[in-house]
Amino acid sequence: MLMVENDSFYEKYELFGCIQCGKCTGGCPVSLNSPLNIRRLMQEALVLDDLESIYQRDDLWACTACKTCTIRCPRELRPSDLIIGMRTALIEEGHIPKTVIEALESAYKYGNPWGAVKNKRSEWAQGLDLKVLSEECHAEHLYFVCCTAAYDTRVQNVARSMVTCFRQVGLDFAILGNDETCCGSEIRRMGEEGLFEMLMEQNAESFKALNVRSIVTTSPHCYNAMKNDYAQDGLVVRHYTQVIAEAIEKHNPFSKEMKRVITYHDPCFLGKQNGVFDEPREILKSIPGVTFIDFDRSREKSLCCEGGGGRMWVEASDQGPRSAEIRIRDAVEMGAEILATACPFCLLTLEDAVKTTGNEEKLKILDIAEILVEAL
Amino acid sequence: MDIIVCVKRVPETAEADIVIDSTGKGIDKAGLVFDINEWDNYAVEEAVLLKEKYGGSVTVISMGPEESNETLRRALAMGGDEAIRLTDSAFAGSDGHAIATVLSQAIKPLPYDLILTGVQAEDDGYGQVGPTLAKMLGINHATVVNGIERIEGNTARVHRELEGGLEEILDLELPAVLTIQSGINEPRYVSIMGIRKVAKKEIKVLGLTDLGIKPDEAGENGSKTVIERVFLPPVGEGAEMLEGTVENIAERVVSILKEKGGVA
Repeated sequence: MLMVENDSFYEKYELFGCIQCGKCTGGCPVSLNSPLNIRRLMQEALVLDDLESIYQRDDLWACTACKTCTIRCPRELRPSDLIIGMRTALIEEGHIPKTVIEALESAYKYGNPWGAVKNKRSEWAQGLDLKVLSEECHAEHLYFVCCTAAYDTRVQNVARSMVTCFRQVGLDFAILGNDETCCGSEIRRMGEEGLFEMLMEQNAESFKALNVRSIVTTSPHCYNAMKNDYAQDGLVVRHYTQVIAEAIEKHNPFSKEMKRVITYHDPCFLGKQNGVFDEPREILKSIPGVTFIDFDRSREKSLCCEGGGGRMWVEASDQGPRSAEIRIRDAVEMGAEILATACPFCLLTLEDAVKTTGNEEKLKILDIAEILVEAL
Repeated sequence: MDIIVCVKRVPETAEADIVIDSTGKGIDKAGLVFDINEWDNYAVEEAVLLKEKYGGSVTVISMGPEESNETLRRALAMGGDEAIRLTDSAFAGSDGHAIATVLSQAIKPLPYDLILTGVQAEDDGYGQVGPTLAKMLGINHATVVNGIERIEGNTARVHRELEGGLEEILDLELPAVLTIQSGINEPRYVSIMGIRKVAKKEIKVLGLTDLGIKPDEAGENGSKTVIERVFLPPVGEGAEMLEGTVENIAERVVSILKEKGGVA
């Protein structure tokens, strides 16, 4: 019988409740391009009797933690949590891909999974003259930047655009500077529960010490972690699209027309997992001149880009087309000129897919914050 | 098979901006992140793999201040059985020779078949401790070991990495010191839970008198080398810094490579 610490897998994940209907695999974005079959895994977890039998399974690392399987399960089981539980077992034994080890060790040592040093975390903000929260320096909102937006040269532009937007709508905000530490979202989903708790405690302590009441995030992953995993009392956590949509409703900040056809890709951690579907669309539709079109697979049935669940640090299998490539082809086919999103991981995976499908001339991938800056 | 692994806690400098300290003989370590020396991590993994294969015990030894406990606990979480930390104010400023003196005194009373060290340390890069330790203990050694093929009776067959992709195969009589090359294995991940589980394990602490070392045998007094000066290499001639957009830089790189015969 498979055990996690003193819990058995079948009890913890209610495996006997599974009726093998297959809705989980039917909705799984990686079932077509990887060996992962989540319906079968629910069954196998019941009959496997030792942990060693899962050590060699690469399919466990294909999961993007998009949670479609859990959301669609008619028995309200949590197949996606089973995978994370299995990853935890692998991690405790140390049998994990090298790229995952590097990301985890980096998060432990440097407070980010990208192997970048801590004292360069706020280099993206050079020349922006931002407030950094301290005992002397207060602000109404903490802007939580995210490791990827802070260090990735492409996504840094999103963080800088965010600052322009916040200033335009008159938001009183400050950052944590070099003291910002990884939110731990992906760390937890890679299965490193102990490290996630450590990062959560570090962040929760600094929020308390600096009397932070309101957090605005770049990334849906930080947003989801802080809102649902931390669930700190008295702390309001919002994704930036929620804040901007609210501000636009009160006061129209746009001065330019933007005659472009734009579609929007729902990040799983923002849409499916937290129900934020309308705000990003409202922002885009409110830009003068924009023609907004939606994907057929949008909102609840949106196709995952495959950037979540630690997949940014796992070599992808190439058994079939990547979901991000399917997304790009669909966007081009329906005549979109800009594919907007609101997540650093989606931005990077979609932009890669634009290049691998050779559609750089036809389609531009931009974060909503970047589009806003063009229209302000 | 009783195995002793010598490990060192070192600052990580690969990504950091390095500043020379006020003495001019070292670097400013404030703000740097410390971790187990990379080669030593492979040595610990190799010891644990050998234990899993042949049975026995793994003892980890580190010379350093209390912070080195972190490195020792990490090694215990990987599968080490016992940990010893060697510390004394008289050890400060030890070079490879003095470190080997201290380590050899700690190792002499212990049972051992194999002693593993990393090939070298990331911080000072001397690569001396392993061979010097073997000499002091009067036993065999092999350096830059990138494979331990088998151990039969008291003989170990090991592979050494040589220049130009050559490999040497040696049979060594045990006990012996092996300095382990990076890449010999894939060190396992050490989880936070794993480290927490060994948090209460005792780490034996030994100082100068416990080890029977005279003050002039360790630290600066016991060292054979004196650091004159540490400095960042001056910017040399011939380096051209490319500036501009990514596209411009890429074009320029390609044309330079073509010019200099790097690509056809």
